[in-house]
Amino acid sequence: MTRRRFLEAGVAASAGLAACRTPRAPASRAQRPAVAIVRASSYRVDLLDCLWRGAAACGLEARGKRVLLKPNLVECERGGVIHTQAEVLAAAMELFERLGAAEVRIGEGPGHRRDAFFLAEEAGYRAAIPGFEGRFTDLNRGDVVRVSPFPGGEIYLARTAAAADLVVSVARMKTHHWAGATLSLKNLFGVIPGAIYGWPKNRLHQIGIAQAVAALYRTFPRAFAIVDGIVGMEGNGPVQGRPRACGALVMGSDLAAVDATACRVMGIDPMKIEYLRLAGHGRCLPEAGTEQRGESIGSVRTPFALIPEFQHLRLA
Amino acid sequence: MRSPDRMRQAGSLDWHWMAQCAESGLALLRAAQNPDGGWGYFPGNASWLEPTAYALLALSEEAEARRGIDRGMRLLDRWVLSAGGWQASEAVKGAHWASSLVVTLHTALGRHDESTARAVDWLLETSGAETRTVSRIAHWLSPRTVEFDASLSGWPWQPGTSAWIEPTAHVLMALRHLARGGHPGARERVAAGQAMLLERRCRDGGWNYGNRRVLGVDLPSHPETTALALMALDGHPEIRWGEMLDRVERLYRETRSPWARAWLGACLLQYRGVRPESRPAGNDLLVTAVEAIRWDRIMGAA
Repeated sequence: MTRRRFLEAGVAASAGLAACRTPRAPASRAQRPAVAIVRASSYRVDLLDCLWRGAAACGLEARGKRVLLKPNLVECERGGVIHTQAEVLAAAMELFERLGAAEVRIGEGPGHRRDAFFLAEEAGYRAAIPGFEGRFTDLNRGDVVRVSPFPGGEIYLARTAAAADLVVSVARMKTHHWAGATLSLKNLFGVIPGAIYGWPKNRLHQIGIAQAVAALYRTFPRAFAIVDGIVGMEGNGPVQGRPRACGALVMGSDLAAVDATACRVMGIDPMKIEYLRLAGHGRCLPEAGTEQRGESIGSVRTPFALIPEFQHLRLA
Repeated sequence: MRSPDRMRQAGSLDWHWMAQCAESGLALLRAAQNPDGGWGYFPGNASWLEPTAYALLALSEEAEARRGIDRGMRLLDRWVLSAGGWQASEAVKGAHWASSLVVTLHTALGRHDESTARAVDWLLETSGAETRTVSRIAHWLSPRTVEFDASLSGWPWQPGTSAWIEPTAHVLMALRHLARGGHPGARERVAAGQAMLLERRCRDGGWNYGNRRVLGVDLPSHPETTALALMALDGHPEIRWGEMLDRVERLYRETRSPWARAWLGACLLQYRGVRPESRPAGNDLLVTAVEAIRWDRIMGAA
């Protein structure tokens, strides 16, 4: 068995009532997870074809599954690179529909501003995705489920995310002024409901960003990552950095492995990113521990500028 | 008027009907009250403390909403906690930041009972984690990481976490009457909370969620938190009010965010006594309620 369900059945049985879920033993992920790198020179290329090739390279299965696409909308600036690009999200929507998913929804719980629908509008999602309003859930303001244990005792998650058969983290490749890099794993902070934890979700910082990210990785073993590095963000990310064109998408079912590969593409040593060390237990972080498919890391490597505090993260 | 049960029939909401209701925020709120007496963030969703408090504040001056208010207050009475404050929802226990909104609601309704007193005590005992000794030492060692004055105490979203603009603003609005009435604890905390807001002001003159400068870089303000901070500053002499309120009017015209517009409108109603023409808020009950609340009267009530 390559994956094991953490989450007890019946999580979503009772609308409006929080069910308590107790994670079982750590999920056994693939020993050598596949990560695909696909070139995409701009957002005007056939992104569906790019994602299709990446999904095929990773052996992604989505038939009959309830899929939640989780973009990054921590903040948004029209034309900027803070948020997940609308074209990538729209192509991901089409990818999972073509793969036969039973349902494809989009959900996000923005971390700094409360108006999720407004941010989605600003990001161009409503214009790019037909029927967006009916597909989108504000994960900050809905039903929740309780998960225990979690660092600090317990945590509530958005029920929409907990009930999905597959959570797809559609993140932009960015540097992060606290964590070093924010990719598919850090993007999972958006499944924590602001209605309980606020804006920002400071509880996760109190727990420790690395500990919280690693715990979310364990909580969502049924996940997939699409990291958009077509144009990423370098420098003072995740909000105030500069655009950095990299021309690549990084994809895979093991989020830690995908993020480790994305770090290498960015010229960052993943072993120096604390949440990746904690999440991977050293398992999939060494380059040899990942089965690289598609393009090689070296062929798309684009060193991202790092703030002075994070120069030590630079890949040797 | 259709009931929430009817709205939920067939597993979908009656969008056409809701669009009609949205033309009258109060009508939408009355119709969207859940059978348990509370309100969800959206019609048909489970009740939460925050939208329930806002909806009750909006309906508090509606004579025809009396029964609905009574049902809502009964739900809040079930959610009251013996240690002070109210829980977030039926399922999420523990005192919730929106308890400050319920204190404001009690003031608006002229209700001052044991639950109000315990909640006020709880609010007065709660402060941001950044004022703790360990946090202050960490901040002293690395002051450039996030620049702020750790001696100024505001309120967190959750006990045990740091203070931020929005929860601080709500508590200041909840405590202002007590402070004006001479309550010594409230007067001191309101003064400190307002000082915290002033100190966290962004370089551009507004407020964001609460970090004005990080790693040596100034962060921009957001319109909704700017409006909330101004409302909580309650005529503070350090603010150039004419200039700021003109700015609020400009932001109101420019912003495309319904949530931001609701708070900017609330701010103008509080200080200038006029509510700009609002646009339909769709099915977002929080926006609908904030737009419908008579902030001029709420903030003037004693």
